[in-house]
This record gives sequence, structure tokens and C-alpha cells, in this order.
Amino acid sequence: MAHCLQVPGRRICSRVWRGWRGAPCASRYRYSTRAPDGTRGEIDISTYPPERIRNFSIIAHIDHGKSTLADRLLELTGVISKTGKNKQVLDKLKVERERGITVKAQSASMFYEHMGQKYLMNLIDTPGHVDFSYEVSRSLAACQGTILLVDAAQGIQAQTVANFYLAFGEGLEVIPMLNKVDLQTAEPARAAKQIESAFEIDAGGLLHMSAKTGLGVDQVLPAVIEKIPPPGGSSGRPFKALLFDTWYDRYQGVVCLMAVKDGAIRKGTRIVSNHSKTKYEVAEVGIMYPEPTPTTSLQAGQVGYIVCNMKSIAEAHVGDTFYRDKEPVEALPGFVPAKSMVFAGVFPIDADEFDRLDESIQKLTLNDSSVSVHKETSAALGQGWRLGFLGTLHMDVFRQRLEEEYDANVLITAPTVPYQIKYRDGSTHFIRTPADFPSAISMQDAVVATMEPFVSATVIFPEQYMGQMFELCTTHRGEIQNHTFIDESRVMLKCRLPTAEVVTDFFDKLKSKSQGFASFDYEEAGYGESDLVKMEVLLNGESVDALAAVMHRSSVVTTGRDMARRLKEVIRRQLFDIIIQTAANGKIVARETVKQLRKNVTAKCYGGDISRKMKLLNKQKEGKKRMKKFGKVELPQEAFLSVMTSKSE
Amino acid sequence: MAARRTPLSLYVHWPFCSFLCRFCAFSKARVPAGGVDHERVTAALLRELGTELAPHAGKGLRSIYFGGGTPSLAEPRHIAQIIEAAAALVPLVDGAEITLESNPTSAEVAKMRAFKQAGVTRYSIGVQTLDDRALRRAGRLHTGAEGLAAVDRAKALFPGRVSLDMMFGFAGQTPAQWQAELATALDHADQHVSVYQLTVEPGTPLFRDTRAQRIVLPDDDVQAQMYETAVEACAARGLRHYEVSSYAAPGAESVHNTGYWRGRQWVGIGPSAHSRFVDPASGQWTRSVRIPDIRRWMHSCEAAGHGTARSEAVTAADASREAVVLGLRMLDGLSVRRFAAVSGGRALADYLHMDAVQRHVGDGRLRWDSAAGDARLAPTERGLAVVDSVLLDILP
Repeated sequence: MAHCLQVPGRRICSRVWRGWRGAPCASRYRYSTRAPDGTRGEIDISTYPPERIRNFSIIAHIDHGKSTLADRLLELTGVISKTGKNKQVLDKLKVERERGITVKAQSASMFYEHMGQKYLMNLIDTPGHVDFSYEVSRSLAACQGTILLVDAAQGIQAQTVANFYLAFGEGLEVIPMLNKVDLQTAEPARAAKQIESAFEIDAGGLLHMSAKTGLGVDQVLPAVIEKIPPPGGSSGRPFKALLFDTWYDRYQGVVCLMAVKDGAIRKGTRIVSNHSKTKYEVAEVGIMYPEPTPTTSLQAGQVGYIVCNMKSIAEAHVGDTFYRDKEPVEALPGFVPAKSMVFAGVFPIDADEFDRLDESIQKLTLNDSSVSVHKETSAALGQGWRLGFLGTLHMDVFRQRLEEEYDANVLITAPTVPYQIKYRDGSTHFIRTPADFPSAISMQDAVVATMEPFVSATVIFPEQYMGQMFELCTTHRGEIQNHTFIDESRVMLKCRLPTAEVVTDFFDKLKSKSQGFASFDYEEAGYGESDLVKMEVLLNGESVDALAAVMHRSSVVTTGRDMARRLKEVIRRQLFDIIIQTAANGKIVARETVKQLRKNVTAKCYGGDISRKMKLLNKQKEGKKRMKKFGKVELPQEAFLSVMTSKSE
Repeated sequence: MAARRTPLSLYVHWPFCSFLCRFCAFSKARVPAGGVDHERVTAALLRELGTELAPHAGKGLRSIYFGGGTPSLAEPRHIAQIIEAAAALVPLVDGAEITLESNPTSAEVAKMRAFKQAGVTRYSIGVQTLDDRALRRAGRLHTGAEGLAAVDRAKALFPGRVSLDMMFGFAGQTPAQWQAELATALDHADQHVSVYQLTVEPGTPLFRDTRAQRIVLPDDDVQAQMYETAVEACAARGLRHYEVSSYAAPGAESVHNTGYWRGRQWVGIGPSAHSRFVDPASGQWTRSVRIPDIRRWMHSCEAAGHGTARSEAVTAADASREAVVLGLRMLDGLSVRRFAAVSGGRALADYLHMDAVQRHVGDGRLRWDSAAGDARLAPTERGLAVVDSVLLDILP
């Protein structure tokens, strides 16, 4: 069964409530359960003023029970029936398992009575991976508070920390709660201490619960109502709403989730995107209950969906502000268009497949406008694309979908980060591909500084791995900012790392060096000056563009030697010696030789051997056609792959 | 008859072995517990022979080759029956070569004279190595000494017409060891030697052993060195390197095998045997293959008179390619005239990537030989060692 990873704001799979994790999806699009004729009954929620609305989210590390808690709350409020079928089957994509991420499912509204008053409770989901931190921040911007759910047995993890700071940065009320207190291994006191030391918040009176058994769940919504402030805003002011999520419905087209800050909206209202100034007419408004359910209106403080005449998902920008036509308002802060963090060259393995691949990439990006696409031509690999992604997870998901859903056979070059070059004339240029890197002369005469992006990373691990973790950070050019014991045996390490180090194999090494016990999360931390050089690969003296890479000067020797050695392993012996050299700044860093072939002849070739020999020859001939030639040197596809995979120890 | 008959060769596959070599990828089976049903196998071979050979009555039988399997396990009288039946269908030309492959076990050696009386004129003995441990590991039930003794005995019976098979590249074998054992083998050799590199064929026990790294064979450079040792050692004994793995005194080259490399016609019978000939009815070059499974092949022969599994036309494109691939396995190379004949009149120079040919000529791997008015493209000794790479460059 096809599963999908839901990327916020660009999801393409079922929106029917299936829980909070990557639930199985039968199709890539959601099919509404009803025809789009608009004749159904509508719920009137205009009787809920902001004071009786709570917009909240749940943030948690993977497997800390977010989906189960969400199910319990929906059952408790009667949104979904208590059939026992709401157990979340944790079907996940391979990339999710490997990288330990949670994925987003969806938001839902509930009605709940507390102290004799009826409340409209909107549970707003947040994606769980750092690649989508911008989307997380926009989802959080739609809430006033969040539940920080911590597994009482596992304690806090790096992702918990990152999400906490995101919520904290948005000025949200954070209510820590301990889950899984029924487990034998639960240590609530220890987890409470971790919360206090990691977040410097009071963990006294912490709610203890077990979402699985239902223990303590009845106290969750009262706590939300009492501790989280109602949304501000007024229905009397001009309409103003934040778009924080969007998806595509086959019948209704683009559906937008919005948090209405001021005013009201109903069917027929003409609204304008502040970003594009495009005008739309609202066809339907409603709440997720848990399926889209139309309402007569959405007003200040409420959160719901809006269907208007948007043609493509690319028109719906997460973080965009919408206002009523002719009544412009000041835009909500924090809108940033999707920004590529990682670039990679994508080429068809077989040049004949270019057109088909082009079509597949177009189809995929139609639903994921955060992938940037530029055509690229490499002397080595022919025509292809340079794609920009939000992060390496995003890149992996894209590649996986390209291969699985579109049956594409692609070669993806080493991921690179967007380096910046500052010139004397004051201009700044981004380096998407090593080919853009300035020549040696230009570096000398025109370049003031080379810059690379950094991330601010959080690593949490048991004390005994401290040595390895510190070493891992420093060998990846990390600058350790501080470390804190969040309890007697767990350490939280904060460091600043070049993004380029993180996009290769940092996470894999972290997991192996800590035997899986370390958790890791990061957020962008701007650009810093960095001594960058371009590493070139020469085969018998000729430079091969597709093998070039931009890197920090300190990596040159290790990487240069490593690349030469890897290439030696994959380049087949030919009838002459092949000299592999890696060079930076005109200096040779490493040299390897693939010795010439001394013997290559089939020993036996009689009657029946002849047919086999001819078949083999045809196969070899095909293989040879797929080789890329540099002068006389033939380079197999593996050469490009071997260079892109991880650096040496 | 005044007109010269078109030469034809016959290959007879005898599929049983008393032991199975771990490197062997041919169609074969261990002799069953109750012994081989010789009468039945021979009857099947004779029926297939009748079906396959009859249409070629107008040709002349230039060679017969009994391969396998281990044809020396067959009864000499059955070998005689097959030779007689073949000759009755297609007349043997004068001096026709009739080779039988043999293993050097005592039982087989004892039958050598009877095979000669049956009509066999040339004897090929699989000595393979003189290292008893390597023989045992390869699954062979004889010793190196038995191998040499068999060669000596065969020389007495088939003077000048004995071929000795050796292999190099066994696990643990060093170039020095190889040089020494080859020297000893050559002391006993007659006028023809075949020297094969141990090749890992998919589907063999050796393949599984090497893939699982239970066995590690010498690396490519060591094997290359062993090959070069063979070339030098044979040359020193006056045995000319005439094909990749074949060495012979002048005039002692294998007629049958040379037929394969020159693209001549042959008919094969027995399980898995291949044929390649001009169909007398259509005038079309045809290739075909027999059912590889022994029992199914036998049933088919009994029911239908033949065990042919598949038959297809050889196109001019196939024939052109094969002519180059096989022709360049021989130091004498490929005749330009011969190529034009098989390719449907195409010039060799128009067919090959001539820039690549000239590059290899310049680098000393190929040469043009225009002696005796028949231009030939041939590999040099150095080029022959890497001819598979050369072929990939020059073939279209």
C-alpha cells in the first residue's frame, strides 16, 4: 500500500482523519465524501466569541504519544467514535524511520463544555521535522498555546527542545504534560526535572497521564482552557487571516487552513492575498470536524478551512495574510517564501528519459511548491535539473516519490548548500552548483568574502557518549556553545554547525556513535564567513565538472584523498593507466592510479560458449554506452554516486 | 565426386561424468547409482544424429568431436556406432579429425586403445593441474601423476595427435608454482596444449564459493602474469600460440575448434549442443540448440527424433559480429575476404570503428597483415591478452 509523508502546506494525500501520523493513503488526492454542490447543512459557530475559543497544538518527540492523545481528545469530545479502532498504526515511510521524524496529519475542531460554558477547541497540528521549521512556526502562529508532551520513560529529546523554543519564540503558553506514566519504566520525577532544567520553567503540578489507557486525559482540556489564553482580535474589525496550511482536493481544488485574526468571512466574500494581491471569491468555509464540515461563517479567533477559486497549490503561500477586497490590512509578521536550504543536481540515468523525467518533476512540484527547479547542463551528465529543497529529509522524500510514484531512474549529485560570495562591488551571489564558484583569478581580484550557512543544533544524549558527541561536533567544524546536564545522566549540547556538514552524514554518524541514544535537531542560524574552496577532480589531467565540490579549506586534504580513493575503487581498469587527481587552488591534493588492464579475454569460446559470449558482449556494449567519457577515460555512474555519499571517517 | 564438398563438423555431447568439477558450467550429470543406460543414451544420440545430419548429405565431414560431460565414460563400441552412422550420412573427408575428450582416471585410460579402434584419431586429456590438492578441491578424482601417465600412454597410441588441457588460477596458486607445474606438463606434452584460466561461471559451485568468499582466486594481475607465463613457456617449446587458450606445433592445430573460430558449419547433437550451419533447404545460416536437461532431451529424441529446443536464423549482422569476435581470438586474425563473405558483402573497414582500430594498431594491439594477397586484421600477442576490451572499442 502506498503511504505518504505529508509535507505541510503541500500535502497531497488523504485528509480524512486517520490520526496524527503518516496514515496509509489510498490515493494521492483526497476524494470528498460528498459532491461539491454546497447544499448540505451548515453548522453555525458564530455564537463562539474569542473568549470561548482555544487554539492549541501538541508538540512532542516521535513516539511520545502525540497521536494517541489527539485520538483520546477527539473521542472524549465525540468527534470520533470510541470504537477502539482509533489506534494509530504507525505505518511510516522508510525515510521517517531512518531519520526519526514525526509527520503531520491534520488539525481538528472539538466542542467541549467546561464549568457550564461551551468552548470551541481547535487542535492545530505541527509538522515534526526541522526541515519544515518555517511551517511549524506558522502553525504555531495560529495558536495561543501548546501542550508539550513528554514521555515519562524517555524524557525530553532534542526535537522536544527545538519545538519548545519555536513555541516559546512565538510567545505561546506552554503546558508541559507527562505521558506514559503507566509504564514500568516511567520516571516522572526525572522527566519533570529535565523539563525544569532544559526549559527553565516550573514543572510543579505537572499533569500526569497515559493517553493509551485514558488516565488523566479528562484533565487535559480543562488545563488548556484555564492556562491558554483565548485568541485576541475582534469580529468588528476588517477581516484578516493567516494561511497556515493548504492541500489539494480533487473536487474542490485548493483548500486553505486559516486562522481568522479579525473580522469574519463567509461564502461569497471576496478576499485578497497580501503576497500576490490576487483576488479570490470564497466558495465555502468550515471547520475540520474531523472532516471538512461547512459552517455559515468563520470569525475572529476561529480556525477553519476556506475553499476559494485557487487553481494551484503554488498560489497558496504558508504564512500569507488574507484580507477583504478593498479593505487592506497590515500583514501579519513572519511571512517568508519557501527558501531552499539544500541543492542537488538531478539527472536521468538514461538520457532518453529526459522528457519523461521532466514531466514527472513538473507533476511533483505542482503539489510541492517549496522545491525550486532550475534546468542544468553538465558536461559529464548531460541535461538535468538543479533542485532546491527545504532540507535533506525533504530531498529524500522527493527522490523517493520520484522513484516510487513515477518509476524514475535518476542520479542525484552530492547535496550542496547555498554558499554566498560577496564581491568588492557590494554584490552578493549565491552558489547553487560548484560550477558557479568563482575562478581563482576572480577570487583574488573581485571577491571580498565567501560565506556559508550555519545551523544552531541541539543534541541530547546519555552522559557516557559525551566524548564522542563533542568530537563529532568538532570534527564537523562545529562550535560548541554550551552543554547542560538536564538530569543526572543526560546531557543537552548546543552547538553551531555549518549546514554543509549536517546535510551529508552527520545524523547517521550521530546515531551510530551514540548507539541510537542521541537525538538531534537544528534550526537555521544565518550565514557566517568561511574559507571556501572548490575541489576539482582531474582524470588524466582533465577536470570533470560533475565531480567538483565546494568545501571548507580545512576539509580539502581529507576529502581530496577520500574522493581520489573512492574513485579508484569504482573506475574500471582500461587499456591505459588512469591518473585520478583532486586539486584545490591549483594544487594537487591527492593522486591515485588505476593501473592499465593487463588481461581481458574470455578463456573458452567453443560451440555453445559463442552465443553466451555474444550476449555478454552486447550487454557490455550497452554498459559502455552508459559510461560517461572524459577524453579516453570512461566513468561509470557509480563514480558520481560514490563521490556524493558520505565522507570518510 | 568432382565438386569439392562444403566442410561440416559434428559435435557429440556425452553428458555423464564420474565426478562433477566445481568450476564446470556445461550440461552434465553424475553417473546415476545404477550406472548409465548406455544403450538408451546411444540410441537417442543416433536418432538425433539421423535427424540432424541427414539434410547435410552433400557436405563433407571434416571433424567429429566427442565432448561433454566425459565422453571417455562411453562404451567404445557406441562411439564406433556413432562415427559409422555419421560417416554413412555425410562422408568423412580424407584425414578427418575425430577427437575424444577424456579424464585421466584409470578406467578411462584402460579404454584408450578401444577408442582408437572405434575410429578416434585425436585424444584430448584434461590434466588441468598437477597439484593434487587443487584437483581434489576442484572435485576431480585423479592425481597429477595419473594425468601425466595418461598423456604418456595416449602419445604412444595417438602420436602427434594428443592434446593436453591445463588450467591456471586455482585458489592459492602462485605464479612460481604455475610456472613449475606447466614446465613439467610440457615435458610430457605432445603437439597440442590448451591452457585455460580458471573462470568463475555463474551457477557453478565455484561461483557460490567465490561470492561467499569461501574461496579467493588470485587477483587479475597475478592471473595475467600466469597467462603470460603460459605464452612464453609454450613458445619456448615450439608450440605456437594460435588462439587465446590454444598452443600447437605447426600443423597440429585443432581442426574442429578452428572451425568454430573461422565461422564454419557444424552440427551438434546431445543435450545442450549447439549447431550453426547453412540450411540446405533454405540456404539460410541457422543456429539451434538442444534441450539441456538430459532426461527431457532423451524423451524428445525418442518421441520426435531430435531434442532441438530452439532454432533461429543467423542474420548478416549477427554473422558479422561473430566473425570479428571469433576471428580476433586467433593470432592469424580475420580475413577481410572471409568477412565480406559472411557479412553479405560488407567491407570490414566499413563495419568497424576504424578510428578505434587505427588507435589500437598504433598502440600495438592490432595489426594489418596483407601477406599472401589476403588482407587480415589480427591481434598482436599483446592485443590478444586484452582482446575483449579491444572488441568493445572497435565493434559498432
